[in-house]
Amino acid sequence: MSTALSVLLDATLITLVLALASFGLAIIFGLIGVINMGHGAMLTLGAYFTWACMETGIPFVPAALLAALGVGLLGLALEHFVIRYFYDRPFDTLLLTWGFFLITTEIIKIVFGTDFRSVANPLRGGWDLGVIEIPIYRGAVAAFSLLVILATGLVLFRTGLGIKIRALIQNREMASLLGLNIGLTYKLVFAFGAFMAGLAGALLTPMMSIDPYIGNIYLVRAFFAVTVGGIGQILGGTLIGSFLIGGTETVFALFSSQALAQTIVFALAILVLRFRPAGVLAQR
Amino acid sequence: MTPLIRTEGLTKRFRGLLANDSIDFAVETGTVRCVIGPNGAGKTTLIAMISGHLAPTAGRIWFEDQNVTDLPVARRARLGIGRKFQTPTVFDNLTAYENLELAALGAGRAAAARSHRIAEVLELVRLSDQAWQTAAALSHGQRQWLEIGMLLANDARLLLLDEPTAGMTAEETHATGELVRELAQRLNLTTIIIEHDINFIRDLQAPVTVLHLGRVLVEGSFEEIARNDQVRDVYLGNA
Amino acid sequence: MSDQAATTRMGPSSPHALVWLSEPVLALVVFVLLALLPIFLPGYVIYILPQYMLFGLMAMSLVLMWGFAGMVSFGQAAFFALGAYTMGLVMKAGGPINPGYIGLLLAALVGGGIAGLVGYFLFSAGVRPTYFVLVTLALSIMMEQIAVSQSQITGGWNGMYIDRLSLTFGRFGAVSLYDDAPMYWFVLPIMAAIYFGLRALVRGRFGKVLAGIRENEDRLISLGFRTPLWKTAAFALSGALACFAGALYGTHASFVAPSLGGVLFSTEVVVWVAIGGRQSLLGGLLAGIGVASLSNFLSAITPQYWQLVLGVLFVVTVLFFRGGIAGVLGRLVERHAGGPRA
Repeated sequence: MSTALSVLLDATLITLVLALASFGLAIIFGLIGVINMGHGAMLTLGAYFTWACMETGIPFVPAALLAALGVGLLGLALEHFVIRYFYDRPFDTLLLTWGFFLITTEIIKIVFGTDFRSVANPLRGGWDLGVIEIPIYRGAVAAFSLLVILATGLVLFRTGLGIKIRALIQNREMASLLGLNIGLTYKLVFAFGAFMAGLAGALLTPMMSIDPYIGNIYLVRAFFAVTVGGIGQILGGTLIGSFLIGGTETVFALFSSQALAQTIVFALAILVLRFRPAGVLAQR
Repeated sequence: MTPLIRTEGLTKRFRGLLANDSIDFAVETGTVRCVIGPNGAGKTTLIAMISGHLAPTAGRIWFEDQNVTDLPVARRARLGIGRKFQTPTVFDNLTAYENLELAALGAGRAAAARSHRIAEVLELVRLSDQAWQTAAALSHGQRQWLEIGMLLANDARLLLLDEPTAGMTAEETHATGELVRELAQRLNLTTIIIEHDINFIRDLQAPVTVLHLGRVLVEGSFEEIARNDQVRDVYLGNA
Repeated sequence: MSDQAATTRMGPSSPHALVWLSEPVLALVVFVLLALLPIFLPGYVIYILPQYMLFGLMAMSLVLMWGFAGMVSFGQAAFFALGAYTMGLVMKAGGPINPGYIGLLLAALVGGGIAGLVGYFLFSAGVRPTYFVLVTLALSIMMEQIAVSQSQITGGWNGMYIDRLSLTFGRFGAVSLYDDAPMYWFVLPIMAAIYFGLRALVRGRFGKVLAGIRENEDRLISLGFRTPLWKTAAFALSGALACFAGALYGTHASFVAPSLGGVLFSTEVVVWVAIGGRQSLLGGLLAGIGVASLSNFLSAITPQYWQLVLGVLFVVTVLFFRGGIAGVLGRLVERHAGGPRA
């Protein structure tokens, strides 16, 4: 009984962590249709920036925020100087964001070296609930993830800004006729997606050792999570998708190695997407 | 004589908008038919269902006595249904020759027969001198002809032309009219043309079908249509 | 909409005196030079060059998918590694018939078969081209993970050792490829033959239809083509080629490890082909050989900066030089020949 509960807990925590890591991608892909292959690099940058900030004595939370801001600004620059000329060419944005990943990773290697770094866990210990124990930090991140998703939902569906953004997505031409500044909106969305990726990377640092490629583990997982969930359904889709991808991987990993579990999950995701290209939550 | 193409109760509904409402429409082999109507009348929708790009909500489509309603686009193309889209859809970065070559490949001819056919078509659509120019470098009117040429090279027997003279000069429009007539008379090809250019339609001297709000309003010769009060009202917005 | 480059080199070339600069002639010159190389250069180069030639073959498989069919694949290395592992397993199994031959044949079949199945599965459903790219990326990850996890078969992280194959000709004896020179002379003609074979293929009907798919798939469908079948054929061929090259690589390098099939290597191939010229078989081939050689040479000195330069070059080619080096050279030739298709 306790094993089942702890598996469920594990799956939930992993789902929410994956959802957080995928959120930046979901925003950018879902709202402006760009496949950000540099998403993993943004995650990695968030982690490294956090580490660097903490090395200078800044405590964890401000460091994470600073890191996220840094990555957000970088995303803004990327959008302004490169991406915005290629919105009508999805293949090019794919390749260019991949180029961003290549260049960023090499710069990280040059600046920080390839040794593993680590960041101390700011919330050590576990929350003992008798039957199960929730690691405090992981729990906090999971809760935060949920918070972010709900908050974004609120903004998108209950505020003027959110309505404008959604209108833009539905109908670009119409939106520009209504006087919405398309360019600015796209910038905002892209920068926010980058910010979220950086933040996710920052928050993940206490849970793993940092190397130049940690973000990339999440890249394909995030893509599948977002697409299986349903690209247009940024909130629900990301959650459901993360559950399907992250949760099932956890379950499979009980019976086989981590590597094989991931392979099976990817294969299943490919299968699902072939039959339901718009994702699980898509409107017919 | 059985018509080459015939629709039976063809209907298309888009989530609340009834684009085509139970249309019965038929065109005889070797003839030209003009389809006109104000914007939003459902002309392109009808064509799209015949070519297979849109699935009907209800109704059936018969091509040479064969029920093609559920056949995919490529299959219908192989049967002989060719469509020229509203905006010229050609291979921009390939030469005119290469465009026609692909079309001819689609018709499945052997190499020698292919080059002969391509030369023929180039002549027909007045692009012999432009064979080695990329499609993107051609004028708008020439691109329309190229697309029509592709249908010919593809051995299409039913040509669905969606606004072929849009963006053409008067001279080009006249030449297009001659081309269409020649295709019908000399090559026994069947052509359905969606058009807005009244002069072009008049010169074509072909039967006209008027669509309005997704239904066939009236059919007849150009003179009959031009005299028809209902048609006039529809175009002037009184209907 | 698939990836479209700004220029095409299809169709009859202009009847001009500069035909001696045409691609196949250039290729022939390069191959002859390569053939003469062992006379002048030291042993190490002769040892390592066949591996880069095989990388070049893998690059050509990507040119077929990307430049001709318009679909980037981030998974060619997955097939490459698959071929190496297949060869390794077959060589280990031994048998009455030359396992080296069987390995090569099996690799091509397995690569073509898997690519064909995956391709048909995806294309018949009309999946978006960008989604196809993601699937190939996933394939690379999956290949690496399988290689790592099935360690009883593959040796896991430690990799697998593979014997060098020898050429047996039945009653006519055998030639061992254990030494550098014979192996070099074995791989070079194969590479040349595959280059010319592919070139003939893409200049014929197959290449033309793929170009149509790349330029405007909807138009091609409206002309009666069953594009999913053509795309599947292209992917199957590229998979077979990459797998075959991998099998040869395995028996040459005598070793294969999971990272050979992973994402990093797969994307390196994309970088090579982008720089060499995605629409040029020769460009891809030479970029594969050249960049890999340079990487090997420079990584001893300055690995990070070289990779950074490659990354920047990659972005620059995507932004400004869609045709890569081959495209730039081609335009230069055209300008001096008095304009395109005079």
